[in-house]
Amino acid sequence: MAEKESLTEVIAIAEGATHDPGIEKKRFNFLVWVSERGIVVFTIVLILFAVIFVNGFASLPNITDVFYRAAPIGIVAVGMTFVVISANYLDLSVVAQVATAAVIFIGVSNEYGLLASFAVALLVAMLYGVVNGVAVGYFKANAVIVTLSTTFIGLGLLRWISGGSIFFGPEDGPIRLFGQVKIGPVPLSALVLLVITVILWWVLTRTNFGFTVRAYGSNKEATRLAGVNTGLVVIGAFVITALAAMVAGFVLAAFSNTAVSAMADGYDFRALAAIIIGGTSVFGGKGSVLRTLLGVIFVSVLTNILVLSGIGFGFQQMAIGALIVAAVSVDALARRAAKK
Amino acid sequence: MTQTPAPATAQTQTMQLGTEAVGFVNKLRVSLARRTEGRGLALLTLVVLVTAFLEPSVFTSYQVTLGRVALIGLVALGLTAVILMGELDLSVASTLAVSGVVMASVPDIWLGILAALVTGLLIGALNAFFVVVVGVNSFIATLGMLFALRGLAFVLSDEKPVRLTDIDAGIAFGAPVLGPITPRVLLFILAFIALQIFLTRMRAGREFYAVGGNRQAAMDAGIPVRRRIFTGFMISGFVAALAGVINTLERTAADPTAGGTVLLASFAAAIIGGVVLNGGRGSVLGTLIGALSLGILQVGLTFSGVQVDIQDIFIGTILLLAVITDPTNLRAALAGVRASFRGREKAQAVV
Amino acid sequence: MTTPPVAETPAIAASGIVKRFGGATAVDGVSISVRPGEIHAVVGENGAGKSTLMRILAGVIAPDEGTVMVNGTHIDRGAKASLDAGIALVHQELSLVGEMTVAENIVLGTTPTALGFIRKKKVASIAAEALAEIGVSVDLKEPISRLSVSLRQFVEIARAVARKPRVLILDEPTATLTPAETDYLLTMLQRLAASGIAIIYISHRIPEVFRICTSVTILRDGKLVETTPIADTTPSAVIDAMVGRELKLDLQVRRTASPGDVVLAARGIRAHNVNGVDLEVRARQIVGLGGLVGAGRTELVRAIVGADPRQAGTVTLTVDGVAHPIGSYGSAVRAGIGYVPEERRTDGLALSMSVADNVALPNRHTLSRWGILRLGAISTFVTNLADVVGLRPPQILREVGEYSGGNQQKVVIAKWLGREPKLIILDEPTRGVDVGAKAEIHRLVRELADKGAAVLVVSSDLPELLELSGLIHVVRDGRIMGTLAGVEADEKSVMSLASGETMVGA
Repeated sequence: MAEKESLTEVIAIAEGATHDPGIEKKRFNFLVWVSERGIVVFTIVLILFAVIFVNGFASLPNITDVFYRAAPIGIVAVGMTFVVISANYLDLSVVAQVATAAVIFIGVSNEYGLLASFAVALLVAMLYGVVNGVAVGYFKANAVIVTLSTTFIGLGLLRWISGGSIFFGPEDGPIRLFGQVKIGPVPLSALVLLVITVILWWVLTRTNFGFTVRAYGSNKEATRLAGVNTGLVVIGAFVITALAAMVAGFVLAAFSNTAVSAMADGYDFRALAAIIIGGTSVFGGKGSVLRTLLGVIFVSVLTNILVLSGIGFGFQQMAIGALIVAAVSVDALARRAAKK
Repeated sequence: MTQTPAPATAQTQTMQLGTEAVGFVNKLRVSLARRTEGRGLALLTLVVLVTAFLEPSVFTSYQVTLGRVALIGLVALGLTAVILMGELDLSVASTLAVSGVVMASVPDIWLGILAALVTGLLIGALNAFFVVVVGVNSFIATLGMLFALRGLAFVLSDEKPVRLTDIDAGIAFGAPVLGPITPRVLLFILAFIALQIFLTRMRAGREFYAVGGNRQAAMDAGIPVRRRIFTGFMISGFVAALAGVINTLERTAADPTAGGTVLLASFAAAIIGGVVLNGGRGSVLGTLIGALSLGILQVGLTFSGVQVDIQDIFIGTILLLAVITDPTNLRAALAGVRASFRGREKAQAVV
Repeated sequence: MTTPPVAETPAIAASGIVKRFGGATAVDGVSISVRPGEIHAVVGENGAGKSTLMRILAGVIAPDEGTVMVNGTHIDRGAKASLDAGIALVHQELSLVGEMTVAENIVLGTTPTALGFIRKKKVASIAAEALAEIGVSVDLKEPISRLSVSLRQFVEIARAVARKPRVLILDEPTATLTPAETDYLLTMLQRLAASGIAIIYISHRIPEVFRICTSVTILRDGKLVETTPIADTTPSAVIDAMVGRELKLDLQVRRTASPGDVVLAARGIRAHNVNGVDLEVRARQIVGLGGLVGAGRTELVRAIVGADPRQAGTVTLTVDGVAHPIGSYGSAVRAGIGYVPEERRTDGLALSMSVADNVALPNRHTLSRWGILRLGAISTFVTNLADVVGLRPPQILREVGEYSGGNQQKVVIAKWLGREPKLIILDEPTRGVDVGAKAEIHRLVRELADKGAAVLVVSSDLPELLELSGLIHVVRDGRIMGTLAGVEADEKSVMSLASGETMVGA
């Protein structure tokens, strides 16, 4: 099968279809354009801006640093795209999931070896996915409130069990090694992000499961009436998110070779920002993992610019929060404009 | 209970359709059945009984307990106004932090308090703007605001706690004013009374129930739905700012990271108290009951030497259980389970 | 057009009202005038334009052409102006707030206040007065959610009466009432009219119309058929005028096929609005469910397929001699039932997805291998089906939302055609569909039956029901009130059963 953007295009090629003049042209609407195509232009403009105006951006060490920081957030974001596309807003508990996974990878592998830590991390990730998914999918509870509570449960458990301490990996351990491998300026973790993006893109566009996730996000009732077990779809979306968060935890742990319960603070909104700015709609149904990857690049470059310009954490957070609100507003207004 | 003054046009024959409660016990039963606070009351009873048994000091040092209840409950009260309309305000925790920092940044204490409260109102209005005018789902709009405002609190405070200029005022604020009651508790009680009156006695407040319960009917009846939503978010913003002011006064400093647990606890209080997330059902009394249960539980756990992390686990679990045992959600889940069991029956050959 | 002689200024007079929705004309040049003290019935089949006309009179929607005058003066557009002018509409869908009390609902939107505070005594007295006026006794402090559906209907009427209206419009007020309650309501309306209120009464139930109304306006396809004093007409003549004569021609193309074995057997179905129904559908048979809107047909078919929970009853689908119990919706789909829901835009289609995606969704298991979609197979599969149902233009990659209603409905049918259903249930398959698409959908339904499928059709479109079905069950109040075989069914007999008018022998 040819590597193409989507099912839609593949079929277009299979049919040899040219665009039929019988279809009325949609009137151009700026908001619709911004919400659908804007991210590509914005990302390019931002990178150009950074290269030209920001001192120290276009240096090899800085680019490597951007990759390092983008990788874990990016992995969380592409995973969480499944939850957003299924019209369940977001999974706030990724903050707890990533930190828990990182602590497990360092803490448990120090005691019992890498393999054991993988097994435990996988178990915990499945648990997160299933608990969130069952509460949202079967009990029809609000995803924001459910994941807010699982965040507190998860972080509470993590701090309690870990005693709140920082875990250090051995200097010559496999995790440390993984964190140090680079191909040119590109760290291995960035490649992991790329591989996971491709896998999840494939899952979302080419598998039965991904298909039902998109359908469910577009219209829950119609999907149920097409005979889909919608509860399982929601559980699946949360499990994917949790598995991605687990990998992100590994990458994050490998980056610093340390782990602590607060290490993923802010991942929730950074991931959400990347997803929404990428053009995936919080109304569900519309969006793609590739868009999220673009959003991740945008958010990471923006953060890097702010850091290089000496702007503090607070302002970064404010800027990204404002971006979320702006992107969602554009989405809402574009939807309304498209309906007219 | 029919207060029929029988006007001249009244029909001689009347149709008795409603079942009218007769006798004190029946009337009591009917009144209870109309309430929405049952679940909250059950939890409160459980918590009170267990605490009285295991950690009675919670009640003897009620000053601490009341302070804790007020901390959780105040924000929850404002939140109740928004949830009743079927909307959500996740930005309350950040509003609390921002307004605290704003207050501490102003040298004059009274001016500072005023500035903080105005900040709360403005944030509420901004939230409502995104929800009502732009048409963004309130979960996501206020979530974005939660992040943005937390950032703002860091920016304004330079990422460290801001000391109050007038520290004496803060210390004075912590002292009891009415018997054992501290100003914090007093303000909480006042806020409760004000909201209770607003939501039960005033037209605008009662219409919140219509906006949340049947928005189309509210519009058809000529209720200014948009204005009501603005009012709701501004109440929520104002109350969160008030909580920020109180926190700052008591600690004599504003912490930009304040309010993390408050978000969880205040949602838990409102939802346990029977306020339904879809809107239209619930009461501030329920929220008070929810806040009481959580406050007593927290203090009880603290007195028993349970660390904060485990308290978070407790409250998180309670919120999770509360939101999945919401009657409508539970009914949906049970129907699903029943259906899937019925679906398992085996196909059989026709004899 | 006959207008009753104007003895005095009419309380409400509308002339030349036209309302179009998209391409369809819902109300086409209708005039109506009602004098104080008169009870004026407006009757017509489903979709004749009654509700639209009433919403125009109440100012809820604005007409494209025509004027509405109240007491001889023009009124401004908008619901508020109409309310102020003294027009009160009792909606078909109840518009009460569940968690507010009876008294609060009666004054909703006009709550008397002092300094923003509700004047509770005043509220109670207004509510009590309104309830006394309609003669219903109910606890003013009871929340609406704890009242029965029929009691809510009376509260709704009390709310309208509390506004001291000049004109009271009631849209199917007796649909949810028991006979005793209906009886009471009718007496009450006569008394209200006697006090000088002009009443417009919409009902499908012809006996009610003849009992209380003074004149009747008959609508068909958005047009005025006639307005006549009730004394000058008969129930039979009204039904004739409602259904029209020229449509009888359609009956010639009726399908005749010998039914095979029983495929669907439903026993003792009870659910919300469904009160014990037994139903069988055989292979190669098209069974129609007739009845009025709100009679419980949609609820019945949803309970049968398990789309909504049932309170009681069993359903089995027999395929090749094997009986599959249908407990959940999932089991229904697995056993081979296809369900085309009434609301295609909200329940039938994912509008933001392509035709291909929508059609592939219920067929995803055959179109994938090991959980991986076979894109080539999907393309061929959907292209074939688009051809079969006659999708125009046949572009399977276009968003379904961009297609017209008729094409959208074809897509919904195509979703199930691909599964070769043993039983297909269609709820209002041609509502909002243009004439050409309608004929094609009818052809598809017949072909399905000819190929051996069992078909169950719910339709409020009488000619369609008669044309398609070999057997018609008429549903009223959630029960099957009568069953008509193809030959004995005509529009009149179905309407008579559906509206509770039993004087026409079936």
